[in-house]
This record gives sequence, C-alpha cells and structure tokens, in this order.
Amino acid sequence: MVDPVLTVARLGVVLARNGERHRVLDEISFAVAPGEILAVVGESGAGKSTLGAAIQGLLPNDGSAPEVSGSIRLAGLEIVGSPPQLLRSARRSLVRAVPQDPMGALNPTMTIRRQLHESADGDEALILDSLRRAGLSDERRIARAHPHRLSGGERQRVLIAMAMMARPKLLIADEPTTALDVTTQAQLLQIVRDLAREEQTAIIYITHDLNVAAAVADRVMVLFGGRMAEIGTLRQVARSPQHPYSASLFAARYDLNTDRSRPLPTQRAAFRHGETSDRGCGYVLHCQIARTDCSSIRPRERRARAHSGLVACHRSDEMPLPTLPVAASREAWTGEEVTDGPVALQLMDVHKHFPANRQRVWESPRLIPALRGVNLSISLGQSVAVVGESGSGKSTLLKIAAGLIAADSGRVSCLDPRPQVIFQDPVSALTPWLSIGDQIGERMRPRVTSAAERRRRVGEALQHAGLDPSLMHALPSELSVGQCQRAIVARAVVVPPKLLLCDEPISAMDVPLAAATLNLLNDLRRRLGLAMLFVTHDLAAARIVADRIVVLNKGAVVEEFEADMLQSPFRGAVTRALIEACPSLDAMLAR
Amino acid sequence: MALYLAKRACGLAIVLMVMSFIVFLLQSVIPSDPARAMAGPYAPSSTIETVREEFGLNDPIAVQYGHFLVRVSAGDLGKSVRTRQPVGDDLLRYLPATLELILVSTILAMGLAFSLILLLLSGARSQVLRHVFIALGSTPIILLAVLLAYVFWFSLAWLPGSGRLQFRDFVGTTGFYVIDGLLAGRPNVSVDALAHLTLPAMALALPFAVAVVRSLAGSLHDVMRQPYIRTARGNGLSEAAIVLRHGIRNAASAPLAMTGLQIRLLFGNLLVVETVFGWPGLGLYMTQSFATADLPAILGVSMVFGTIYILVSIAVEIAQSLADPRIEL
Repeated sequence: MVDPVLTVARLGVVLARNGERHRVLDEISFAVAPGEILAVVGESGAGKSTLGAAIQGLLPNDGSAPEVSGSIRLAGLEIVGSPPQLLRSARRSLVRAVPQDPMGALNPTMTIRRQLHESADGDEALILDSLRRAGLSDERRIARAHPHRLSGGERQRVLIAMAMMARPKLLIADEPTTALDVTTQAQLLQIVRDLAREEQTAIIYITHDLNVAAAVADRVMVLFGGRMAEIGTLRQVARSPQHPYSASLFAARYDLNTDRSRPLPTQRAAFRHGETSDRGCGYVLHCQIARTDCSSIRPRERRARAHSGLVACHRSDEMPLPTLPVAASREAWTGEEVTDGPVALQLMDVHKHFPANRQRVWESPRLIPALRGVNLSISLGQSVAVVGESGSGKSTLLKIAAGLIAADSGRVSCLDPRPQVIFQDPVSALTPWLSIGDQIGERMRPRVTSAAERRRRVGEALQHAGLDPSLMHALPSELSVGQCQRAIVARAVVVPPKLLLCDEPISAMDVPLAAATLNLLNDLRRRLGLAMLFVTHDLAAARIVADRIVVLNKGAVVEEFEADMLQSPFRGAVTRALIEACPSLDAMLAR
Repeated sequence: MALYLAKRACGLAIVLMVMSFIVFLLQSVIPSDPARAMAGPYAPSSTIETVREEFGLNDPIAVQYGHFLVRVSAGDLGKSVRTRQPVGDDLLRYLPATLELILVSTILAMGLAFSLILLLLSGARSQVLRHVFIALGSTPIILLAVLLAYVFWFSLAWLPGSGRLQFRDFVGTTGFYVIDGLLAGRPNVSVDALAHLTLPAMALALPFAVAVVRSLAGSLHDVMRQPYIRTARGNGLSEAAIVLRHGIRNAASAPLAMTGLQIRLLFGNLLVVETVFGWPGLGLYMTQSFATADLPAILGVSMVFGTIYILVSIAVEIAQSLADPRIEL
C-alpha cells in the first residue's frame, strides 16, 4: 500500500462551548491514502465537522484555546502543536476544504476571479480551466461575476474549483451538497469522484446521509459522540455493520423503496455531552445489547469479525446484531386515504413573474417567469408533495399558497384564511427572547382569553408534537434543533389549521432527525385531518410524507401521480431524472 | 448611475425648497422685526416703514416667498441685515474658511480612525483605549473645544487658538490659505494656516473619529465571524491579508454611513467650534446672524449647508455601492 496522505492517531479535542468544556473528539485514529475517499458519517454533534477543522488547524477559539491531543500527520507534516505560520502554509498547499453552506462561503464584495486568484497563485488560464472542470460551462461569465449573481449550485462549484486549483493532497468536503438539490448533488458527487481518481487527491467526505456516502466513498468511518464506532470499506460495513450504532444508522435511513405505510424507523435519542462517563462505551444508554461491563470498560478498537475494518464494541463478536434497534410503534398508519374531501387549497392557472435586474436605464425591466399556469388542488386530509430542482418555482408556489406573495394572474382559493407554514430553519423561525409557551400561545390570543386555558392547550399541542409540556417555559436557545422543529409544529397546530405548508423542513437535518420529523408530520396530519403541502427536492421524503406527488419544472407542473406510483415505468423524463439523481445505498450494494 | 444622479439632483432641489420655506416661515413667527433691526433701534417709525416697504415686508408671507424664489433663481440671496452686504458675497467670503476646516477635520478624522483601527487590530484591545473612546464620545463638543484651547493655546502655548492667520496683510486667491500660501510662494503662510487649523480641526475630528472607529470595529467583529472569512483562512491567507482584503471592505457599509452622519453633525459643531476659536467661517457668521435675527444670512448659510449635506449623502451612497457590489444605486 502507498503511504497514506493523512494519518490521524489518538486524536482528542476538547472545546469550550458556552463556558463548558466538552470532549468533542476522543481518541480517533485512521488514515487516508492518496485517491481514496473516506466518508465520515454520524448524526449532528458526533464531531464530524470538528474533525475537519482539526485537520485544517482551524478549530474555533472562542475565549479559551481548544485542547488538542494525539497526532495529525499530513503528508509528513505534524499539524497538532504546529506554529500558525506552518499551519497556514499547510492550508495553502496541502489541505483544502469545501464548506457546507455555499451561500455564505464566498466573499460578497470580490469577483470570483479575484477570489480564485487569491486562493492559489494561478494565471487566467488556470482559473478558467478549474471552473470548467468543476462543471461550470460558462466559465468567463462566472469569473467576472460577484457571488450574489450565482446560484447555490454554481457557488458550490466555484468553491470546489477554488479547492482544486491549489492541487491539495487532501480535500475535506463538509456536507457540501446538503443545501443543494438532488440533480446538482449528483453532478457534484461525480466531480468529487473524478478528483480523487484523476488527481489522486485523498478526500474526507463528511455527511450525515448514508445514501450520499454510498455514492462517493470507498471507506466509511462511523462516529458517535466523538468516538469512532466502526471503520471499514463502505460495502462491507453497509452489508454487515458490526457496531449496534452503525446497524441502527444503516437501518434508519430511508430511500425510494422504504415502506411508506408505517412510521419510519428512528433512533431513540440523540447523543448528549456529559451523559456517559469517559470510562464506559459512549453508546451504552442507547444500546439494546449492552451488558453491565459496557458502562464501565471502554471498548477498544479491534478487528471486526465480519469485515476487514475495525469496530469498537465489546459484544459485536458474540451475537448477531438486532436488525432494527428502533423506536416502539411500527404499526401501519391507520385511517383511509381521503380523496374527495372538501378542497382545502386550490390554485387555478396561477402565473407569477419576478422582475430581473435592468442593465440599462431605458430598458423596461425584464420579467422572469417563476410559475407558468400552475393548477393544484388539495383536499382536506390529503397530503401533496411538490418536488423539483431549485429554481423550479416550488418555493414561490408555497408562498402564494400561504398568501405571503400575490399571484400575477389566476385564482387562488384557500379554505383556511391563515394557513400555517413550517420553514426550513427551525432555529431562526423562533423568536429567541420569548418562551416556547408564549410563542405557541400567541396564536390563540385573540380567541382564547383565559390564561389557564391557553396554558392547557399549549401543553396539549406540545404533547401532540412529541415534546414534554414542561418545555413551555424554556427559551428556544435551551432546545435542540429537533426540539425547536417540534415546537414549531406545535405552534402550527395549536389552533389546528386546515392547511399546513412545509417548506423543505428537513433538508438541513441529519437522517434520524429528518425521519422523526417526517413521522411527526405524518402522524399529525392524519390525527387532525389537515391538508398538507410539502415542498422538497428530496423525492424519498416526498414519497413518505405525501399521498400525491406533483413534479414542477421551470414553473410548470409536468407530472402529478400517486406516491405509490413513483417508480412506475410510465414516469416522464423530468421525474425519471430526479429519481436517477437520488443516491441510493441499496443500489450501490446491488451493483 | 446617471439615473441615480438625476434623481438625487431633483431631491436636492426639493430639499432646498422645503428648507428655505421653513426658514422663511420663521421670519413671521419669531418676535423680531427685521425692518426694525435693519433701521436701527433709534430710527423713527417713518424710516422703519420705508424699510418695510423697500423690502416688501408688508406683503403676505406667500407673496414674499414668491418674490424670494424669483430673486434666488436670479442668484440674489438678499442683503444681510447685519453686514449690509449681499448675502451671496458674504457666503463667498466665509465659505472657503469653513470648507477648509471641514476638509482638514475630515481628513484628520479618517487618519485618526485608521490609526486607531490599526491599534485595535494589533491586539492592543486595552481597557484604557475603551475608556478613552467612551470619554471622547461623551464629551460635549463645546467642552472639548474649550479644553483644547485651554491646554494647547492658553497653558502650553504650542498652537494658536484664534483666527486663521497671523499675517494681516495676506490676501489669497482661492481663500484656502494653506493652498494660497503655496501658490503665492510663501510656505510660511501655509505652515501658519495649518497651525491655526490644528486645534479647531482636532475638536471637530476627535468625536468624528471615535464614532467611525466604533462602528467599524463593531461591524468588523461581525464580519470576521462570517463563513467567507473561514474560507479565506482555509485558503491559507495571512491574518493581515484576511482583515485588509476580506474584512474591511465587507465591514465598510456601517462606518461609511457613520461618516456621512458625522459630516452632517459637523455643521452643528461648526457653529460651536468656529465661535470658540474665532474662526471666520460660515459657522461664526451664522452664530452672529442668529444674534441679530439676520434671516437672509441664516437662510443663505442654511442653503449652503443643506447643499453640502445632500452632496455628502450622495457621496456616501456611491462609496457604499462601490464597496459592496450588492448595493445598487
């Protein structure tokens, strides 16, 4: 085997957050060879991003310096404890990163050309060539532009071009496609694969999405609570995970073939810092096969029985892992599908244009069509998903349905004068200085005057949403992202709306949280008989949450079908392209 | 850009109209009789009546305003009650002194702001500096001006504290004495003019610089937490390059707005500072005109200040859009 580009040995990182010190990474060891793609998977808070930052020597320094132990050797250079000067030159030539959020990661006041030029010393030809190789065909326009003129996908390609230009030995891609639609994601994954193959760049691909990991990675490392649970080739680990956490992680994912007649399998709880002792296994509280010694003796990494990788579990050799270590009820959804209830939302021949920026004073503003004659109807009790690439007009459709913007022409009728909307980012959708209870209770203020009655109904709504009613006195900052999302759902249903609108509510979530949110929405809409419009670019989620799927392309409805008929051979070209762009672990295993 | 400038020019005209109308209305509101002021305290009532007729003060206010507009559009701002000179001539005489003071104090403020920012960035984030900032920011301008005059002129006698020049005989061509001295081949005049400028300019520049630095430091603090700064760090740029190339420009909008705001505040401060330092500029002229209810003069100065005010706003907006391409004019 060739010498690895990166060797990490017993890496430990302690970071201070809000005055508390947490061990974010604990004795992590692995190596990455040239041209190899290692996927790092785990849920939010597992330490994935910290690992990337540590390798770059860019750990956050809020108040107190991070404590780093162990060793990170990058192309022969020791990162841990190196002076800033050396780290800077390592970042310049050895390791580059592609960040998660392409929207904010480029300097808004510099042209792309200048930013690329600054990032790696290269002439015009190299800049244009890098942009072209990152899949941008009109590289000259892109180079001239400022970031705010580019779409999210274009910006992410620019960032990849920026990283490629420096010809790094190691590329760290931290969830680079989370904010992008499936089609763009598929193209970017291809670029990453090509980069590893053609340039022999070692790549660490951080993701929470196992299907994405399957589409790019050779090997996979599973992190839980800052510790390594399992590492091995993706194929082997996916086929026969040896750690109970990996097993549940692989079982909890959903794709286009998941059973949609019952709730998705979910994990019982997420990892929280400080809940386990340093001595025992970090997973012991969630583990179904834990023994007494699991909480007192920390399992060391050792050869896995069923594959050539390593696993850190006392019991993996002794018994077959339970296939689905998951939450209680997995009974099928009850209630019949409603097909002919009263119509909750109807759009008829809706058009919407947005003015484009004028180039000259005397030109009349050009209008860019966002919606072109959309017809849509949702009955009470029905759930409809609108899918499409970014720019297809799905968000505009939702905003028109919510009454946030007006259509240019066409008829919009809604049974509910105030449909409720659940937006993508749950944290920013809550007012930070109001308690959860106040924010939920606010919605019934005009009608329910008694404070006691309001409190009672807030508690009920929180229970509906799967939260402890005592959380009504908490501030949003005391809640996790998942709890915030549940609080928002509680707020939406405390006065049950007739129509619930969801704008990509799960696209930034890790898989267990997304699955839990989908289950919650599915449960509530059935229980309360709501009509639901669910906007997403994720076909798998659409299929699970909706009875009917509407495919939008360039502002027009191109296809509409029952969710069960998604994979039918009669689907149109746009839908087929979306299906093919969906990465799938099962498809990879089948190959 | 052309459209923007045209729009702003129309705005300028409208603002000047409104402003002149308000000042004009003052005339009918304040309990002072311009005719009496012009004729003198001991003039017989027949003289006052003649003056009143002569200046059209018996007409209704709207008619007077109409006359005024006609005169102004012909370039005639009327006659100052106090100096008995056409207001236009007075303005031309005093404007250069004030412009010189504004320009020098703005440059001084920018220099001070820049050096303070460098001091802050170099890690001298000391409490002392913070307290100095707060003290300077909260000192009333009149106290600051008097203190500067007391310390540097009266006590230490390092710098002159009154007037523009010690040479009585010097007459400049442009009215900007620093430039005139050089033009006339008398550098000692320029040096003397600068020495006279120092204290009043300092009094104007200190609060100005502190305000700009505080707003720049605040927005720079936010900018340095943005993801693109992380990208720049990830690209291995030096910390200095990151601050200068990526930080300052993105943080520029707020301090630029603050600069505009401070230049506007400068007009008010000019009245105080020019009076304290006996600076023969528009501020002093205005203060003296207030004392004699010299409305034509007050109106004239207000129009000049209003025009500068709007030109500064335009300059600030253009600077903001140059700094940040997302801001379109």
